[in-house]
Amino acid sequence: MTDIPQHPPVIRSAVYKDMFGRIAIPIIAVVAAFLVGLIAVMAMGVSLERAISAFINGAFGSAYSISASLNRSVSLALVGIGFVIAARAGLTNVGGEGQIAMGGVFATALCLAPGMAELPFGLSFIIPLVGGAIAGGVWGAIAGFLKVRAGANEVITTLLLSFIAIWLLYWSVQSENLLRQPMTSSATLPESLSIPASTQVPLLTGSYASPVTWGLPLTIVIAIAAAIILSRSVFGFNLKAIGFNPVAAARAGIAVGAGVVTALFVAGALGGLAGAVMLQGEQYSLKAGFCSNYGFDGLVVGLLARNSITGVIAGALLFGFMRSGGISMEMMASVPSALVGIIQGMIVVSIAGAAYFLDRGSAR
Amino acid sequence: MNQGAAVQGVPAPAEKTEPQPLLTLSGVGKRFGEFSALSDIDIAFNAHQAHCLLGENGAGKSTLCNLVFGIHQPTSGVMRLEDAPYAPANPRDAMGHGVAMVHQHFSLINELPVIDNLLIGKKFGRLNRKAEAEKITALATEFGLDLAPFEIVGDLSVGQRQRIEIVKCLMQRPRLLILDEPTAVLLPEEINSLLDVCRRVAESGCAVVMVTHKLAEIARVADRVTVLRGGRAVAHSAEPSNDMDALVRAMISREGGAGDNRNFGVSALPPRNPAPHRGPRPEAMQIDNLSFVDEIGVKRLDSVTLTITEGEIVGVAGVEGNGQSELGSILAGLSRATSGRWFAAGREMTAAKPRQITAAGVGVIPEDRHLVASIGQLSLADNLQLGRMQRFARYGLIDRKDQREAASTLMQRFDVRAPDSQSAFSTLSGGNQQKAVLARELTTPNLRFLLAAHPTRGLDIGAIEAVYTFIRQAADRNTGVLLISSELDELLAVADRIVVFYRGRIIGERPASSDNRDHIGLLMSGKTP
Repeated sequence: MTDIPQHPPVIRSAVYKDMFGRIAIPIIAVVAAFLVGLIAVMAMGVSLERAISAFINGAFGSAYSISASLNRSVSLALVGIGFVIAARAGLTNVGGEGQIAMGGVFATALCLAPGMAELPFGLSFIIPLVGGAIAGGVWGAIAGFLKVRAGANEVITTLLLSFIAIWLLYWSVQSENLLRQPMTSSATLPESLSIPASTQVPLLTGSYASPVTWGLPLTIVIAIAAAIILSRSVFGFNLKAIGFNPVAAARAGIAVGAGVVTALFVAGALGGLAGAVMLQGEQYSLKAGFCSNYGFDGLVVGLLARNSITGVIAGALLFGFMRSGGISMEMMASVPSALVGIIQGMIVVSIAGAAYFLDRGSAR
Repeated sequence: MNQGAAVQGVPAPAEKTEPQPLLTLSGVGKRFGEFSALSDIDIAFNAHQAHCLLGENGAGKSTLCNLVFGIHQPTSGVMRLEDAPYAPANPRDAMGHGVAMVHQHFSLINELPVIDNLLIGKKFGRLNRKAEAEKITALATEFGLDLAPFEIVGDLSVGQRQRIEIVKCLMQRPRLLILDEPTAVLLPEEINSLLDVCRRVAESGCAVVMVTHKLAEIARVADRVTVLRGGRAVAHSAEPSNDMDALVRAMISREGGAGDNRNFGVSALPPRNPAPHRGPRPEAMQIDNLSFVDEIGVKRLDSVTLTITEGEIVGVAGVEGNGQSELGSILAGLSRATSGRWFAAGREMTAAKPRQITAAGVGVIPEDRHLVASIGQLSLADNLQLGRMQRFARYGLIDRKDQREAASTLMQRFDVRAPDSQSAFSTLSGGNQQKAVLARELTTPNLRFLLAAHPTRGLDIGAIEAVYTFIRQAADRNTGVLLISSELDELLAVADRIVVFYRGRIIGERPASSDNRDHIGLLMSGKTP
């Protein structure tokens, strides 16, 4: 993509090595991890054929399953893009889960707000999306503010803010004063009312047989914009300078504090947007288990992408489809979907390990 | 000055029987890649003597210590300990040979009591703290070290912590004890007692090697002095208190002597050509009663007042560590004065951020080129425009072509040589890096004042000449310049007047003329004639 720098011919071999590192290693790692997964399936005594066909069916088997996989990828990609933007400024945002929760809570509140459903021009679903994004953004910006003002490490603060956000989510679905649906019987679940149809993110095809939402094109646009901003804008340049050397950046007149807060705001906002899209495009009502680990999986996607938006897209697609396949494998072939978690972990470890050896090799 | 006076209050140095060399270095050199940190060092460290290594930052003092302590290995030359070859592979090896080192940075566990810190890694099995504490206290007292074995380290002062580190070394009964700038972290009143300890350790038969750049300490403690400069030993003295003036000169002058200060680049500078001006010149920069107390409570700057008018170059001379760095850091906006105020072109900057200082027309060439002035991972073009990328923005996106052209213009104007403007900054030579920093700072919009801290450090003669030509051209265009340097000859050649820093104060001021050279040298060693 646009962020690959141009190299003079002298160091071309290094570029090849870089290409190898960026493309070949992830592929090898994924294949190896899947092989280990297959061995685990065999060890469980499940027929390989059944497991694989269940996996493939769940991931790509029908228009419905492809759509579901893509929707999952959208959430992962948004969180991953945010992670990469913050990483450009040398920041590690591990608070995706909480940012998703804040996005979901505020989007729900806005969707259920009186009069929202009647707004024209699609505002009925756009306002909750924007509101969710801002809520997530504020959640990220708090960590940025703490870092600038008190020097608090953002790894710690984003993680702890995540726990607070998740408990806020529990609280809002447990309390009728907040978002819990009115209790009509003892069987009323602790979740919000379903959001009105007009506040839902519209489906691309208009049919629930292939429920890809407009979240997908939105994410593609955001990914392209992020790649351009990071590689070509003044803002992206300043983030890069801050990430490499905050002292020199400050001395040269770059507003380091504002850069840190903004980077974490943007990262949080993308997490919040992911939450809003999940709620308004897929789940339609807020439940306690709303985040379902997308924040942490998105973080892993961002980590694996090693600072490249292209990498985020690839990783988000892979993990999105794997999640769908894993769920189907559990239902159809009674292979625990935790196996997918194991495979994801294997991929992470092998890519991180390969990167370590590759970096060490080039340092010599 | 006689010797008795020099070491007043301290047991006189051992009678000068013939000193026995304990560790000898012959032809020792150390290269780090292309950079030669030490070359051709011949030194003997004698038992029963305290040997001071004197020199400015980057002279190679720490590298020398690291070689002796086995942290680095020499790339040339040999070391001999008594009569056996000595080539420590690592600090553990060095300690096995009886060589111990007190580092500038302590390695203590603040939560544990002193005694535990001293015994860590030294004992197995049952720990009898009381008995050990008695033994260690006895040892410490022998050397005049006050030790409270059961205090928690975190509650102690820096001086007390340093004593623990010294005791830790003495417990190994070393034959050679190295102290790397031990007084840099101490309060003035703690320094004397440390120096007393050094003397006692030397008298016990140990060879003591102490790194410093403070002359007063040498007079108190040293039997021998070696002056390092640019990685070479440029002067030795076996009677330091009598040779003080020669030592100062060796430390600060480029060629080691006062006579040959004409051949280091500044002699070829074109004459000043100031812009014509009538009437009194406006102030470019004003410092009013500025003081700075660092985090351990040492007063690094003490009521400094200084005014620089437009077009004037004021040099700051002084042995390093007398407050110059702190002044530079405050004027760059990287730290804030404890009291006092300062102004750039009439606007108060005391609490300003770097961005606001730059916006007020202040250019800054920081002391540390790599950590503060530039970002090595970015390209040359990016470093030339750091902080003013907005200038090339079209709808928020950087016009790369525009930026490259502007970079090429700057590269030509300031003679920055690089394969092209997209080269990584870290691949440039030091001279070209510094010229790039100058190019950026001297093109600060509406430049009124330039702070240049050690702008020629580590540069070759050609680059030095270029740097000073640019700085003087800026002054000719009515910029006021504050030039901090440890090179007295350069200051004399470039500045209009020179103020001398000593212990955080301006101890004196002289016009920059080579007639005042000796006078300024005296001021630098703290003597007001």
